Formats: sequence, structure tokens, C-alpha cells
Amino acid sequence: MEFDELQKIWDSQTKEPLWVINENGLHKRILAKKNQAHHITNFSELLAILVNLGAGSIVLGINFFKRPENLFMYVMAGWMLVTALFVIVSRIRRLKSETTFDRSMLGELNEAISMATYQVRLSRLLRWNIVPIGALSLLSVWEGGKSGWLLVVLMIFFVLVYFASGWEHRIYTVKKRELEVLLKKLQTEEIVS
Amino acid sequence: MSELEQNQTFTQWLGQYKALLFKVVRAYAVTAMDQDDLFQEIIIQVWHSIPSFRQQSSTTTWIYRIALNTAIKWANKERKHTQSTETLDQLPPILQGPAIQFDERLTWLYEEIYKLDEIDRSLSLLLLDGFSYKEMATILGITESNVGVKINRIKKLLISKSKQQDYHGI
Repeated sequence: MEFDELQKIWDSQTKEPLWVINENGLHKRILAKKNQAHHITNFSELLAILVNLGAGSIVLGINFFKRPENLFMYVMAGWMLVTALFVIVSRIRRLKSETTFDRSMLGELNEAISMATYQVRLSRLLRWNIVPIGALSLLSVWEGGKSGWLLVVLMIFFVLVYFASGWEHRIYTVKKRELEVLLKKLQTEEIVS
Repeated sequence: MSELEQNQTFTQWLGQYKALLFKVVRAYAVTAMDQDDLFQEIIIQVWHSIPSFRQQSSTTTWIYRIALNTAIKWANKERKHTQSTETLDQLPPILQGPAIQFDERLTWLYEEIYKLDEIDRSLSLLLLDGFSYKEMATILGITESNVGVKINRIKKLLISKSKQQDYHGI
């Protein structure tokens, strides 16, 4: 075959009907994405509750039985427990709002977007939460008269955690954008069953 | 640019240049799952690119550039992470192109294009879609002379492969 013939074969595509979107495939894809978003959000919430509740209680317990007591440790424990409470309340509200979406393709996608938006907000909040926790940890170590090296190591640790959570936050933001573009496509594309 | 304007442009582009996007998707991704992923990736990039489109080049050139660059990046990434999630793998494909799949010669041509490296794949698509060397160089960010050398090699290769294919009865 000469190149002209290859060109004709290639050009024959324009006479063919264009590809179309398979509604069934798209619906199942949306459901899979929604379940994935649900799983990630559920895991993040439970982890945030467990970590804040656990760490807050431990810090509170240790400080209560330790002498002299450290004011910053009390503040930090309180902050962690309030954070855990906030995540619990947010989770309850989120679970309640899930029932407001219908089970159509658009409804499932809107639910997935709503969950992704919630996840983005939660990860942003938990990221910023590292700042007061870090500051209070440093202040309590400083008040306890510990070595300067410990302060430096702790500071590096919190900076690293802050950047790592920023990376995690960007993943959720990208996932949310993907869902939004899918919604736009769904609203504009010609869809066949 | 307002979101409404961006939406309108996106709708218009998607309707008008759908075939172009499908060609790129088909040349860079083989399985239905990969084609869906790449298609989604490309339209996300096209959506984000709308505010920066200054009409210095034609819309076709712009969209080709976005689509090919995304496909090249995607192919590189896929090579590093070949495994995809099992759950999504088992789902039915989003894109359907029944009529195209029955044309054996076109399927063969896509297979041959797929065997080329990422840049040559892009060049093949642009060549078959009638772009000039200058346009190809602009889209892919390589020199015109480099385009010329590569195009000659691609043409020779495709012709030689097609002759072997003729021999085998297609």
C-alpha cells in the first residue's frame, strides 16, 4: 500500500458515525467514583476522629498526672478533642445530607461531587490544624525546659507533615475537578443507551 | 473569562472536535478502560486551557496540542504505573465506536501507530490529518527539520508494514 491509500483509510473515519458515550458504562463509572469518594471520605473522617480523640485523651491524661502541669498541653488536648468533636458533627451532617440526592446518573454524580467538595474542605481544615497543634507542641516542649534540638526536630517534623498534607489535599482537589468536568460533559454530551 | 463563557466554549469544542479527541485517545490507549481514562484526562486539560486560548493559532491546532501533550504525559505515566484498579477495570467502557471497530484496515493502522514511540505517534496523527511540518513543529515543540526526518521515517515504516500486511491478505 502506498501512503495515499493509508491516507484514504484514515480519512474514511470522517464518514463513520462518531463514537458516542455509553450511558450504562458512564453510570457505572460514576457509581464507582462515588463509592471511591465515599470510602476515602469515610476513612479520613474516622482517622481524624480516632487520632484527635486518642492523642487528645493521652495528652490530657499524661499532663493531669504529671507534675508540674503544663498549660500548653492542656490547651493542645482541648484543641484536639474539639477537633474530634467538630469532625464527628460534620460526619453526622454529611451522612444526613446523602439522602437528599436522587439515584439518577446526575444525582449520583452530584452526590460524588458534594462528597469530594466535603473531602477537600476537610483536608484543608486538617492541614491548617497542624499549625496550632504544632505551635502548642513546641510551646509545651519549650515550657517543659527540654533541649533546643528537640524543638528543632519537632519543628522540622511539623513542617514536613504540613507539606505532605498539602500534597494529599491537591489529590482530593484534582479528583473533585475531574468529577466536575464529568458533570459538565454529562450535561453537554449526546448520550445513548 | 466568565464560567458561563468557558462552559459555552467547552460545549462547542467538545461537539466540534470530538472526532479529533477520539483519534488521539485511540492512538494512545488500547483498552477500553485506558481510553476512558485518557479521554477524561484530555477533556479536563481542554477545559482548563480555555481561558488561556488567545486565538493566535487555529482552534484545531490548539486542541491537538493540548490533546497530544496530555496523551504523551499520560502514556509516560501509564508506563510507570501499568496496574489500574480492579474495580474500575471490570466496568463497561464509556466510549463506544462500533462502526470504526469493524474496519480492519483502520484498526491495523491504529495498531501500527500505537507501536511507535510517543512523539512519532503524535506526528503520525498530525501527518494523516494533513498538518504542515511547521504546524507539527509548533504543536510538538520540535524543529521543522526534525519533523521532516521523523515524518520520512514514519512514512517509510508504515508503507513497508502495509506491504507486509498486503502479503498476509488484508
